[in-house]
Amino acid sequence: MTKSLERKTVHELTIEPGTGKALDLRRGQVLRIEQTSGRQCADFNCFNLHDYKEFFHTGRTRHLHGLHPGKGDFLWSAPPRERPMMAIIEDTVGTNDVLYPRCSGFLFEHHYGLAVHTNCHDIQAEAQREFGLTPDDVHDSFNFFMHTGIDTEGRPFIAKNTAKRGDYVELLALMDVLAIPNVCGADVMMTSDFELKPLKLTIFEGTDQDWSRVSEPPRLKNQRSPSQFKVKNIKADRELYRDASYRPEFTNVPIQISELEVKVTGEELEWIEQLKASGKYGESDAEVLRYVFFTWWIGKFMHGPKHAAPA
Amino acid sequence: MTETTVRLRLNQQQLELIDNSIKAGESGSREELIRRALREFSAAHLPSAADRKKP
Repeated sequence: MTKSLERKTVHELTIEPGTGKALDLRRGQVLRIEQTSGRQCADFNCFNLHDYKEFFHTGRTRHLHGLHPGKGDFLWSAPPRERPMMAIIEDTVGTNDVLYPRCSGFLFEHHYGLAVHTNCHDIQAEAQREFGLTPDDVHDSFNFFMHTGIDTEGRPFIAKNTAKRGDYVELLALMDVLAIPNVCGADVMMTSDFELKPLKLTIFEGTDQDWSRVSEPPRLKNQRSPSQFKVKNIKADRELYRDASYRPEFTNVPIQISELEVKVTGEELEWIEQLKASGKYGESDAEVLRYVFFTWWIGKFMHGPKHAAPA
Repeated sequence: MTETTVRLRLNQQQLELIDNSIKAGESGSREELIRRALREFSAAHLPSAADRKKP
């Protein structure tokens, strides 16, 4: 299907402080989230429009793209779906966050003694209610324009927001989605520089140029759908109780250990001994050799980020 | 040449990964693949092994 290079605007609106908006986007449409004054964090939730049990997952996104996903990265759905839901095709700031959870009513009451206060969880819940979702359905947020990091002690921190008026991110929908941006409600934290500002939202019809910015994502048999689930229906009651007919069917169980004999030369044994003496690779020759093999294999053949510890 | 046997404890999934690498042409046997890993890893991490590669 050929799409024109000229984008057509489908919808434009501004969300005011303390609010958010649930927007149904079709595959191929682009959502722009834009600063009206600057220095405003936008929290974001995303659901499959035709199956709300598939939703954006900060954990998998963090695993694949790091703590600060940006242009060229995807918003992934939770296991076992694990599909790219949206692609970030433009980001004029580059300070996004998938480390911090959404702020909540509890947080402001606990930290600040403010029992009634704007917060991202409740804003999301209120916006999602338009599509029948409940406060339990709000999930961990993608935090656009939230400037964060990790200090030398390993603790996360929030830095000054650097987004300026007119800065924006653009998300291309790779499936039909319910996308819910909200103006982050944290006005007594660093997140939005201690001031809540409106955000402008625009939906465009995507163009060939937009699609050309998206790399080909993997399509694997482990990206599962409900048709493959043993339980296909959504549980509709709150109480948990045992299914008397349940019989466990875990994958590849039992895990069976066997010994693989590897004959090494004197020189190779000396290398193993040197590696063992470093204390970094294992306590026995066999442990060292197993560590060596798998780290070598990961470095040479594994797809995706390696997650290797610094040397 | 003196040889020593090292016995690696591996489960069926780990062996599958090794066998897939052999099928892909990376080595002729499980043992050969693991010794290749040891050679290349040592060359990258041990000065003595790295020196061995120099002419």
